[in-house]
Amino acid sequence: MSKPTDLVQGTLDLLILKIVALEPIHGWAIAQRIKQMSSDVLQVGQSALYPALHKLEQQGWIEAEWKVSETNRRAKYYSLTRSGRKALNHEAANWERLSTAISTIVRST
Amino acid sequence: MPRWITQLRLILRSMFRKNQVDQELDEELQYHLDREIDEGLNRGLTPEAARYAALRAMGALAMSKEECRDMSYLTLFDDLSRDFQYATRSLRRNPGFATLAVLIMALGIGANTAVFSVVDAVLLKPLSYHDADRIVALSTLWTKTGADQPSVSVPDYHDWHDQNTSFEAMAYFQAGDTAVIAGPTAEFAGDATVTNEFFNVFGVQPVVGRGFSEEESKSGSGAAAMISYSFWQSHYGGEMSALGKTLQLGGRALTIVGVLPPGFSFPAKTDIWFPANTIFHESTIRAAHNVQVVGKLKPGVALEHAQSEMTAIGDRLEQQYPPSNGSKNIKLRGLRDNMVKDARLMLYLLLGAVGLVLLVACGNVANLLLAKASTRGREIALRTALGAGRVRIVRQLFTESMLLALVAGLTGVVFALAGSRALVLLAPANVPRLENTGVDGPVLGFAFGASVLACLIFGLVPAIRTTRVDLNTTVKQGAAQNAGTSRSRLRQALVAAEIALSVVLLAGAGLLVRSFAALHDVALGLKPEHVLLMETSVTARMTAQQAMPVYKRLIQEISSTPGVIAAGATRTPPGAVRSNGPYWVDQAPTPQQINVNRPQAIFSFAGPGIFAALGVPVHSGREFDAADNLDAPPRAIVNQALAKRAFPGQDPLGHTIAVATDSLKPMTIVGVVGDVRQLGPASEPAPEVYMPYEQHPTLSTFLTIVARTTADPQLMAGALRQKAREIAPDVPVKITTFEDRLSQNVAAARFRTLLLAIFAAFAVALAMAGVYGIVSFTVNQRTPEIGLRMALGAGSRDVLKMVLLQGVRLAIIGLAVGLTGAFAASRLLSTMLFSVKPTDPLTYGAVTGLMALVTLAASYVPAHRAARVDPVVALRHG
Repeated sequence: MSKPTDLVQGTLDLLILKIVALEPIHGWAIAQRIKQMSSDVLQVGQSALYPALHKLEQQGWIEAEWKVSETNRRAKYYSLTRSGRKALNHEAANWERLSTAISTIVRST
Repeated sequence: MPRWITQLRLILRSMFRKNQVDQELDEELQYHLDREIDEGLNRGLTPEAARYAALRAMGALAMSKEECRDMSYLTLFDDLSRDFQYATRSLRRNPGFATLAVLIMALGIGANTAVFSVVDAVLLKPLSYHDADRIVALSTLWTKTGADQPSVSVPDYHDWHDQNTSFEAMAYFQAGDTAVIAGPTAEFAGDATVTNEFFNVFGVQPVVGRGFSEEESKSGSGAAAMISYSFWQSHYGGEMSALGKTLQLGGRALTIVGVLPPGFSFPAKTDIWFPANTIFHESTIRAAHNVQVVGKLKPGVALEHAQSEMTAIGDRLEQQYPPSNGSKNIKLRGLRDNMVKDARLMLYLLLGAVGLVLLVACGNVANLLLAKASTRGREIALRTALGAGRVRIVRQLFTESMLLALVAGLTGVVFALAGSRALVLLAPANVPRLENTGVDGPVLGFAFGASVLACLIFGLVPAIRTTRVDLNTTVKQGAAQNAGTSRSRLRQALVAAEIALSVVLLAGAGLLVRSFAALHDVALGLKPEHVLLMETSVTARMTAQQAMPVYKRLIQEISSTPGVIAAGATRTPPGAVRSNGPYWVDQAPTPQQINVNRPQAIFSFAGPGIFAALGVPVHSGREFDAADNLDAPPRAIVNQALAKRAFPGQDPLGHTIAVATDSLKPMTIVGVVGDVRQLGPASEPAPEVYMPYEQHPTLSTFLTIVARTTADPQLMAGALRQKAREIAPDVPVKITTFEDRLSQNVAAARFRTLLLAIFAAFAVALAMAGVYGIVSFTVNQRTPEIGLRMALGAGSRDVLKMVLLQGVRLAIIGLAVGLTGAFAASRLLSTMLFSVKPTDPLTYGAVTGLMALVTLAASYVPAHRAARVDPVVALRHG
């Protein structure tokens, strides 16, 4: 693995769902939040963030609303839908399982 | 909100609010960019450096945007609309091709849609009754033969009704078409006697007035009637005062107590309902099957469950009453399925046949597209060279096909509007529910489905095939010659398939035509020309006995009318027999002998002169005459079939015969007459017993007067109607000619034969167009080669032969496959064939000959052109 901050396929979706679940939030803030919460370990390439957001919206897991942001400008705020909540639980559980499995293997040496 | 609705909303938004979605995307990304710049500035970068950093962080803005557009389907809709515009332009550039392709497909889709509109109306639409899926028809099942008949005996019905637990309501009804006086004149009206749960079965309640009271439903009481909404409107102007008025029927005055809701007219076209066992007494004989039974299942009870319960009841009755109920049981069927069961096979057959026509049309259009593609090789190669992906090009070509198919579908719907109306007019009148036919939602859906399916069939193959071109050579040569051979093989295969499908249709049509001709040629046992039938009914004010003198006078007056050679009367003219049962020779039956499993005969009640009027030969003895009345000893005439069966090697005259009708008294046989195909041309003559109608007055509630005329019987109709009105103003009459009736009898056969013949002709024409196209195509392609051959000494005869051989090869392959298919498929027709086997060699021979001939004819024109190629010109331009 060349770049350690690369996100495993699908993991970005999980991160977005998790962050959007906290409160309605716009794209830029999501990127910031991921960076902060992972103590700068994870940096979302913005070119990956927006397609992912639009895909999640198209899937009906998050929904968007235009609101005035903290800088007094119009911004697109995303929030979690009910089916998104289900998807989040499912994905989170999956991730839990996967990461435990990987850790077990990695530590076993 | 369910997730799929959200998704659909977003897709629709991308589709129809494209600009807004695009703008919002821009704004969102711009916002992100600005925040990045602010962030940079906060960290102390120069505005320029901050912007640069932001842009870099952003990745390629455009890329990101494109990806977002992909995610919200914007790109897809962009491409689609571009493909669509391109397709429109491309088709408009080839108006001849586009028109031809659209027309072929439109005819195919239109014909399919029209047939489907009938199938939908007759077979698929639910009945318009409350909880119609729980309404069931109960029939008598003969377990020995597996056949079932709608008529049920009244005592059986009572046991079914009382012993079952599956039904919430069950009723019997008996429908008729009798004389009624409700207005100034007597008329025929549909009437039905019904038991008291009848209206519960259908979940209808009177909109005006009330239902029958308990008192009115009691045996022997009555004289109450309910009328249909349309009868209320036409005869009483929809006035409330109709309630309490009386109408005359069956010698009684019935008081109208209620009006049923609009649209309710079950059974058939009934206008008047009255309680069973009131005016007419119900039969108590278990062997006499003369009512029909319907029931409504309790909610949640499955048909199979009800069937097994009723079968158990049937088994019990069989043990209890072996003579009348031996090998008799009960068959349940959904009411709709029961109503349309006779039409089902025919309609599905027609749908299948017209589906084959659509396939042939698809083959044709696919061929046209392939031919067109061969001139487009360069364009496609160029587009590929410029970087268009294969999927992209397939989609482009496919969009063109889809556009064709949709335009064809729309045009087809227009054709279907006319076609469906024509079908309703052509269809035999006895197909139920035909009047519901129309081009509505489901039918439009079908047309759309057929278009899409057709597009998949004729569009996909050429689209994929076309993209398989060798870039290098094609761009260089500017022609698609190298792709020619494989594509031409595909086109030949398509044409061969078209021939094969046409052969299947042609063979089916051939078999039906042969049966229809046989039906026409069959000896009916009478002379149908110049015979007029005048149906009458016992006058509404009289009982059957009182009506006898009126009938007698009517027959007498009509036989003495100038232009009438002979006149007689019968309760049921040929084609309309309703009565049959066992018979006993030279003895009155004991009760044990009244058994449904004895040999059966048809019963007819006839008046003097009937055999002369119908042209039935009297082989020995005599016709009925005026002396065969109530005062005379009972007499009968039998037909030859009965004589042969019951009196082998003897003269039946002077013997007696007894039948189970109104009396079991032995009747002296006074004559033997020729056999008549009473049940129509398709059925063998059965043993038959004729009885003088005057000796059975209670059964003769209706009578058909038969008149043989010198001139066209239609011309006599007016005079005879006039005469009838003068003599008996209370007697309504209906006049038809015997030949009209006969043609109604074979209406179903004519309908399916005609349609299959039309479909086959259409398919053959399309296939021949295909043959012509492919042979012309190869001739054009091979012109240089032909020129060369001729320059080397080949005669025009050799060239002609060479080209014709191509057509012959197609015909041979198509015929081989088609005849095999026809052999397999014709078995489906077997119940519709008459005196022709599904494997009739004559039909297959004729189909083979015809197909070979038209294929040769279709290839002859291009072959002739090839034979006249000038070698010099051909070689120079080659």
